[in-house]
Amino acid sequence: MEMKFSGQFEVSPPPAEVFALLSDPQKFAPLLPTFSSLEMKDANTALVKVSVGIGKIRGTASTQLTLQKKTEPTHATYLGTGKVMGGAYTMISSYDLEPKGSGTLVKWRGEVQLVGKILSLAGGGMQGYAEQQINAVITSLQQAMSPEGRRGAPAPADEAGWLQRLLRLLGLAPAADQPGGTPPADAAAATAKLTAGWTGTARAERGARALSPLKSAGRSKDFSAIVDRQASDKWVHAALSRKEDGRLIRGQGLFVDDYRVDGMLYMNLVRSPYAHARIVRIDTARAEALPGVVCTLTGPEIAAVCSPFMQIGPGTAQNIRDFPLAVEKAIYQGEPVVAVIAENARIAADAAQLVEVEYEALPVATDWKSALEDKAVLHPGMGTNHHWHGVYDFGDVDKAFAEAAHVVKIDQMDFHRTASTPLETHAVVATWQPTGGVDFFCNNSFPAIAIQMIAPALGLGIDQIRCKTQDIGGSFGIKIGNYPYMALAALASKKCGGRPVKWVETRNEHMLAGGHGGERTFLDTEVALDKDGTITAIRARHIDDCGAYPRYEPLGCVIWSQVLPACYKLRNIRIDFNQVVTNKGPASPNRGYSRLQHLWFMERVIDICAHALNIPGDAMRLANYVREFPYTTPNGCVYDSGDYPLMLEKAKALIGWDEWKKKQAEARAEGRWFGIGIGTTLDSGTNNFGQSRIVNPYLPFSGNSEVATIKLDLDGTVVVTLGSTPSGQGHETTTAQVVADELGIRPDMVEVRTGFDTAANSHGGHSGSYASQFAVTGLSAVHGACQKLKREMKTLAAFALEANEDDLEFTIGQQGPELRVKGTERGINYWALSAMVNINTAGQPAHFTDITLNIRHVYRPPFKIPDVDKKMGNLTLTYASQLHIAVVEVDRLTCVPKILAYAAIDDCGKVINPKIVAGQVHGAVAHGIGAALMEAHIYDRDGNLLTSTFTDYAPITAMSMPDLLYDDIETPSPFSYNGAKGMGEGGGAPLHTISAAIQDALAGEDVVIRKSINSPNDLYEALKRADRASAVKVESRIG
Amino acid sequence: MSTPDAIPPVTIELTVNGRKYCREVEPRLLLVEFLREELGLTGTHIGCDTSYCGACTVQLNGAPIKSCTLFAVQADGGEVLTVEGLEQDGELHPLQKSFSEHHGLQCGYCTPGMLMSAHALLAGNPGADRKAIKKAIAGNVCRCTGYQNILKAIEAVANDAGEGK
Repeated sequence: MEMKFSGQFEVSPPPAEVFALLSDPQKFAPLLPTFSSLEMKDANTALVKVSVGIGKIRGTASTQLTLQKKTEPTHATYLGTGKVMGGAYTMISSYDLEPKGSGTLVKWRGEVQLVGKILSLAGGGMQGYAEQQINAVITSLQQAMSPEGRRGAPAPADEAGWLQRLLRLLGLAPAADQPGGTPPADAAAATAKLTAGWTGTARAERGARALSPLKSAGRSKDFSAIVDRQASDKWVHAALSRKEDGRLIRGQGLFVDDYRVDGMLYMNLVRSPYAHARIVRIDTARAEALPGVVCTLTGPEIAAVCSPFMQIGPGTAQNIRDFPLAVEKAIYQGEPVVAVIAENARIAADAAQLVEVEYEALPVATDWKSALEDKAVLHPGMGTNHHWHGVYDFGDVDKAFAEAAHVVKIDQMDFHRTASTPLETHAVVATWQPTGGVDFFCNNSFPAIAIQMIAPALGLGIDQIRCKTQDIGGSFGIKIGNYPYMALAALASKKCGGRPVKWVETRNEHMLAGGHGGERTFLDTEVALDKDGTITAIRARHIDDCGAYPRYEPLGCVIWSQVLPACYKLRNIRIDFNQVVTNKGPASPNRGYSRLQHLWFMERVIDICAHALNIPGDAMRLANYVREFPYTTPNGCVYDSGDYPLMLEKAKALIGWDEWKKKQAEARAEGRWFGIGIGTTLDSGTNNFGQSRIVNPYLPFSGNSEVATIKLDLDGTVVVTLGSTPSGQGHETTTAQVVADELGIRPDMVEVRTGFDTAANSHGGHSGSYASQFAVTGLSAVHGACQKLKREMKTLAAFALEANEDDLEFTIGQQGPELRVKGTERGINYWALSAMVNINTAGQPAHFTDITLNIRHVYRPPFKIPDVDKKMGNLTLTYASQLHIAVVEVDRLTCVPKILAYAAIDDCGKVINPKIVAGQVHGAVAHGIGAALMEAHIYDRDGNLLTSTFTDYAPITAMSMPDLLYDDIETPSPFSYNGAKGMGEGGGAPLHTISAAIQDALAGEDVVIRKSINSPNDLYEALKRADRASAVKVESRIG
Repeated sequence: MSTPDAIPPVTIELTVNGRKYCREVEPRLLLVEFLREELGLTGTHIGCDTSYCGACTVQLNGAPIKSCTLFAVQADGGEVLTVEGLEQDGELHPLQKSFSEHHGLQCGYCTPGMLMSAHALLAGNPGADRKAIKKAIAGNVCRCTGYQNILKAIEAVANDAGEGK
């Protein structure tokens, strides 16, 4: 198509001077508003580069500008040509000069010709716009020839010059940024984007008061700089710093407590001071009379309008009535009894003090023993505290024991109650909608399950719940368990006429009721070994204590069996597994959930047997490690890959094993308690939810799924949404890395939305962040979505470029991301592709109607439903492994254990981002060391929590964290598309390792380490225990 | 019945990140609540209720303090610096850059407090060594990073200062 324009203007300089400017390409070209640089090919021809931008990416476009004709001093004609999008454009502009008074009358004509299918498609309605742009050039010329303009250099480039706008109209330059001139991030704009689609704002005001230029790209400025520095062709495996950091280092994250909306109310909870008590009377009158209090809520009120939460357990466990508030009795210290809702948080807290509750204390069951006595039954409907029982029996255990050379017997071992206590506590803002239904802005880390719990309890359809998360201040699994508070806040909002209600848990509340890691006791362990120390069989009775309400339990009663034999090759195992409820805070999944307790048990077995049989800990492990992969365990789980002996070798080299062995010998000679311990562990990732049927055959779950969407937005921006709820794991960054590689672009060209949002349609029933799986489930969903998007993009591009799909490549062109015909300059950028679907849709073939450039992909790992009766099947897809070595000295006087050296080797298959992986390992080590040395939820016999503040619980600080030595190996998983294994939980390696090191340190004292916590008090008691020599018995039948 | 409403508000004047504010506040309003709720500076976080975790660390007259343990009225007349005040003229503070570069943050919840403690340390001891750094952040809990990369991030800035950069 062709467009013609003409006009005239007057300028004050005489024709000769005007001609001198117009007829010199070197002077003329810089007048183009987005002029970037110029290269003279000859006296009359210039290769002019002008700035263009695609989204956040800026590039340059070349136009060859030739002075085709000049007649001094009356005429000049320029021919401009360029190639774009598989087509071409030609621009002819000519100028005739006539004297007018002392100045000049300039008559100009312009013609633009577009050649090529897409350019023609884009042409409709362009005339007026192009004219406007040509006018901009003329204005620029006029200004240059005005007295002010002539004094200095050409005016600086305009924000969105005519050529750029023209190119944009042609589908080349959606953004209007200048190269290298990205302005400072505009805080308000960034906030608006963060909260887009969500009512309310994060904050009133922050940052400098300035109206900085409103440009795009502010949000990713830091990340673009990071990507620039990294300068890579491939992004997966690159140690890229994170996209998330830009907002977080500025304090501009949006955590739930940062979120404010007009009319928002605050909820405060009155909690039971008793571990077990009947609620005799509640009087809320004084609280409600306090000015600023809107209403109160009690258990009976709630029970009248909602159903108890779904129970996972079988049989009479289904009769457990778990409501957001205690109804007839409270069954743990800290159970919410009354909710008070007020205009601000302080009034709500005051009013809570005015609520009167009369209790009648009941007998308590605070450990597994008293629980099993059933004298204090927590849940009358269940009729017992014995929540779950099942026997896991594989191989021929009795035969193995009959044939054993040695049998080692350990009377009791205990894994203590501890939790990762995320720094941000549970929080939610709930808004009951006038149309029914509720909006949640929350920090739940498994929202797909949370909404499946909440909807039936509140009598809502799942579509009536909008649930959104944003920045989450750590979860470690614990935030899976906060859904009762979400439901409570929803009911509070309903009672307050739909005003939004915010609830933010205090730290004290979190310690009491926010979710504890599971406590487990291992009874009557017997280990059969052959004469070389190879373990042939284990039998034991395990009792898990899940606190007052099971909630996610009894899933932990099967999840441990993902790692049934740990890293060892024994084939005969019988575990009698039990779970009890007690009058303590409810358990919640916590980093290493249910597997770390069992792995600790297995590592203790290894070490205790090693010491009993006088075999070194490393030799004992080498004799028992699984070595062939994939390896099918006795219960049908498939260990995908690994190399435990290599990890041991690497860890020894890293820590300087031989040196420490020498130092140990010297220290022991001086009578010091000096130990070296090894822990080998597994981090099984990507659950097969079919295992839930092993705890309750009537559950409907199986397999796993995760969702990602990817689209080209209206301006061609690549936008990805996820179903995960990252709380520091860097999903925005790793996702951008994967998409960048798939599309042949840069990670900063990919927008990844943070957090879960039911409205984004990027979730399935398993969505969330838990169980070490994002690198497999999340990234497989992203990868799958990319493949579908690429197919659509290719179809469109092949049509537009009149090329074969096989000849197209994904790359970055001068105008940003594009598809190009290989070996040519013919390409079409993302804006133009998006335009074909979204804004410029006429004249396309009928079969394009299926193309949306808006893809939703559901990744489903290839799982089968386990054999419920035999408790067999593949329960997880990947098995990351960790091997740690610690050197510990225990002070003989104070019993204080001190870590002298610590090395961690990690294997999570192919690493997506080494920085992030190392960070996850560091964090898991800190949790493990904290838990091994000091962090414990300690209850007295009446069920009072003695460690109910951080000051008592003492989460590990920089002062007690040793300097870590870290390295990795990569054994790619054959079961994930990228060879990656889920990671992050870390398998509790430090707990195993420190127990082993202290065992080694105290070997000469006849002490057997049978507790997972080794605080000075615990060690003192272990040293003083009368039974310390008889806790382990060895029966040997050889010699 | 005595209620907090009966206690008259107090007028305070203080400078936060270089800007003066004059507000009427409840005498029992904590400084952290004042910053977050009155001024909308939500970068300062709350992580515990016993001054253990340091998520609320800001600087008052140059000293790092836990703003959950100070009433707003106690900051009357003072100069407060929060994480929002670290970036100057669009240029991030070297500590902010270093935290990102060394992956010294994961969830980002402790980060503002960590930055403010580190900033206060380096203001008085620009070339601080690892021991001094550990001590300076002993009152800041991070549950994600195991502190390894936080120490590296602060050390990198301190080393740069030590080399006279």
